[in-house]
Amino acid sequence: MANVLWLQGGACSGNTMSFLNAEEPTVVELITDFGLNILWHPTTGLQIGDQVQDLLKDIIAGKVQMDILVFEGSIIQGPNGSGSMNYFADRPMKDWVKELSEVAGYVVAIGDCATWGGIPAVPPNPSDSTGMQFLKKEKGGFLGANYVSKGGLPVINVPGCPAHPDWITQILVAISVGRIGDVLIDEYHRPKTFFTDFVQTGCTNVTNFAQKVDGHFGKRSGCLFYEVGCRGPLTRASCNNILWNRQSSKTRANHPCLGCTEPGFPHHDLMKGSIFKTMKYMGVFPKEVPHGRTKLAYYMEAGFQKVMPKNHKVMEASK
Amino acid sequence: MSVKELNISPVGRVEGDLDVKVYIDNGKVTRAHTQAAMFRGFEKIMAGKDPQSGLIVTPRICGICGGSHLYCASSALDTAWGTKLPPNALLLRAIGQATETIQSIPRWFYAIFATDLANKKYANKPLYGEVVKRWSAYVGTTFQKGLTASGLPVQVYALFGGQWPHSSYMVPGGVMCAPTLKDITRAHAIMTQFKNDWLEPIWLGCSIERYLEIKTWDDMLAWVDENDSQRNSDLGLFIRAGIEFGLDKFGQGVGKFLAYGTYLHKDHYQNPTIEGRNDALISSSGFFDGENWHEFDHLKVSEHVKHSWYDNQEDGLHPWKEPLPTPAKSQTLEDSDFDGQYSWAKAPRYDGYACETGPLARVIMNANPANKDHQINDPLFGDIIKKMGPSVFTRVLARVHEAPRLYNFINQWLSEIDLDGEFYIKPVEKDGKGFGATEAARGALAHWIEIENGVIKNYQVMAPTTWNVGPNDAEGNPGPIESALTGIDIEDPTDPVEVGIVARSFDSCLVCTVHAHDEKSGVELSKFKL
Repeated sequence: MANVLWLQGGACSGNTMSFLNAEEPTVVELITDFGLNILWHPTTGLQIGDQVQDLLKDIIAGKVQMDILVFEGSIIQGPNGSGSMNYFADRPMKDWVKELSEVAGYVVAIGDCATWGGIPAVPPNPSDSTGMQFLKKEKGGFLGANYVSKGGLPVINVPGCPAHPDWITQILVAISVGRIGDVLIDEYHRPKTFFTDFVQTGCTNVTNFAQKVDGHFGKRSGCLFYEVGCRGPLTRASCNNILWNRQSSKTRANHPCLGCTEPGFPHHDLMKGSIFKTMKYMGVFPKEVPHGRTKLAYYMEAGFQKVMPKNHKVMEASK
Repeated sequence: MSVKELNISPVGRVEGDLDVKVYIDNGKVTRAHTQAAMFRGFEKIMAGKDPQSGLIVTPRICGICGGSHLYCASSALDTAWGTKLPPNALLLRAIGQATETIQSIPRWFYAIFATDLANKKYANKPLYGEVVKRWSAYVGTTFQKGLTASGLPVQVYALFGGQWPHSSYMVPGGVMCAPTLKDITRAHAIMTQFKNDWLEPIWLGCSIERYLEIKTWDDMLAWVDENDSQRNSDLGLFIRAGIEFGLDKFGQGVGKFLAYGTYLHKDHYQNPTIEGRNDALISSSGFFDGENWHEFDHLKVSEHVKHSWYDNQEDGLHPWKEPLPTPAKSQTLEDSDFDGQYSWAKAPRYDGYACETGPLARVIMNANPANKDHQINDPLFGDIIKKMGPSVFTRVLARVHEAPRLYNFINQWLSEIDLDGEFYIKPVEKDGKGFGATEAARGALAHWIEIENGVIKNYQVMAPTTWNVGPNDAEGNPGPIESALTGIDIEDPTDPVEVGIVARSFDSCLVCTVHAHDEKSGVELSKFKL
């Protein structure tokens, strides 16, 4: 049993849409079978207007227990720290969040905007957006580096643009069934259970990666790391194990991983030449190499593989 | 006097923040103002960045219409760069757009709209009991089935785009994916599941083929009464309850309609140009002035900002001429001066007119006698708009009317994919101007881009909700929702459910706060969220 309040700041509602796609459990099963009591949610909540304001005030006053505060979207601080670019229930949203986080059992930031600012925080960051406890890789964010909720944890970051529905539902289930003690978080406050392996784990092109066979758009097979900027070897997430919409994943659909579970997405702040292109030195050496290797070691390994005869993965047939 | 007793049972909220102020005199709304209450500045973020930034950034403007933004972003680059598009790419983009839209039909109908009909306002109506039984939030018998089925079409999107929401699989020159036979057959199977779980047994109560025989409003009424299965289907119930509850009697709006059209035909848009777009559409574009259809020309689109919180712009500029937004100081609804700036939304106009966009606009264009053979030719809503005019009822009927046709299209387009053909033709990047547009589930969406020195100089996004919820223009003419709210009767000022129903019939992509004020005393009667 856990009381959940879900709010949206500088959000696109993408994480809510992702959440609504959840299966095993579905959103309804979360409520009926896992004892989650959603105090309010912007898309599905039954209360309205003054009732919502009264609910928020009662939570802050300690009259209603809020076990989990889920926050989606960036914290909008602009202009000039006023937060008036995002009013909610007659106040800047950031002021509600500040007071609510002081009484929350646990705070869960869902999606890149809430975790580290996301796209709204890309320079020039017109709305002065930040994440709950990080701004890109820098700890602090809106609530400050030292923030811990009443449950004793800092903000639990469930990144992704959007977050996978399983990541969202399973954290909520873990809290509601009393397993929060088993949720270990990494340096960016991500639950290790989802964000230890790399997106490359389970990618159907891993053989092509090993043998340095290039992939391109509109082609079947070939690794997207070399030319079109795939970040699968640099990005921790379980996308290729659990799949999206129960069917596929970006890399399985020949779509380069954008690295959206790592702080700093969109990487390189959308600078010229960074979109769907592998950034290279001298047009040859990738500027970023797979996690866990030095650049030199990687270049040597890759150079060696390039000249080796290929046990070409059979190109996936059209029929 | 702030009234706390409210019973606006489940109120649909989708995204963003919109406040509405309505003035009520003798139970009638005399004036309404909409206020968009959140600013992120995406267009500013994209300036000076990689020309393809829109492919990643714009789907994330809106998690609900992300595939539609992607359709626009890739099209804008296609026209700016002069790409070539293989037929397969046009098919796969259309499938992405159509699966996102058909997903939204049950999700919107059950989660956002129909629950309002379970409001106590309608408790004395004969069909109220049945409406409550089926459409109450979470507990309604078909609510859960419809909501669950809504996840299926986007599984098809994920087969080709990797995931929904937030894929970037449509790129200038085509699509990223190169599906195989197993992807196509799986997609057919998922769509069939959608049909068998919900579309035919629950929604229509008949076959898709039978439903598509309906050509006039009289046909529709005859279809309802043809048998128990159709009468008792959710669509049959909506038509009967909609008329019994009087949904056809309010929420008219501005009576002018704009559609950019969508689904570029695989054989007619292999050389994308702005000029060639209208003729290549399967769902046609156009402007309907209430009497006649007119050809769509994007150069007739402009935005007004007199009542918007932007400081550096004059009224009536075409998006290519609009500067990047410079935010002005905003106020809460309480403190807003409605003679001055009062919304983050701009006020878009077509040929000077405020226009409604959305499914109703689309199906009106589908009835245009000038449509070509490869375009949808469906006279139904030409007839309905003539006989009944726009209203909450016709708006909702238009939305749900699209589901059977889209189902057929998705299957047809899947079957037309040539597995041995090309999916992507690598384009040459260059500077220039581009325009990309589509029909998001909730209406006309367009992107305008200007690329200079290899980076984005200007990027302007005009969303359907901007058309519908935009504030007054420079001449003081209201936007479509402002207009649709004016004149409606509010039965119970402490529970003005009618306001919510009107706003929600447009499927506003916003969280709305409605503040009801008494016209004479200015006393706040109630506040609630949409």
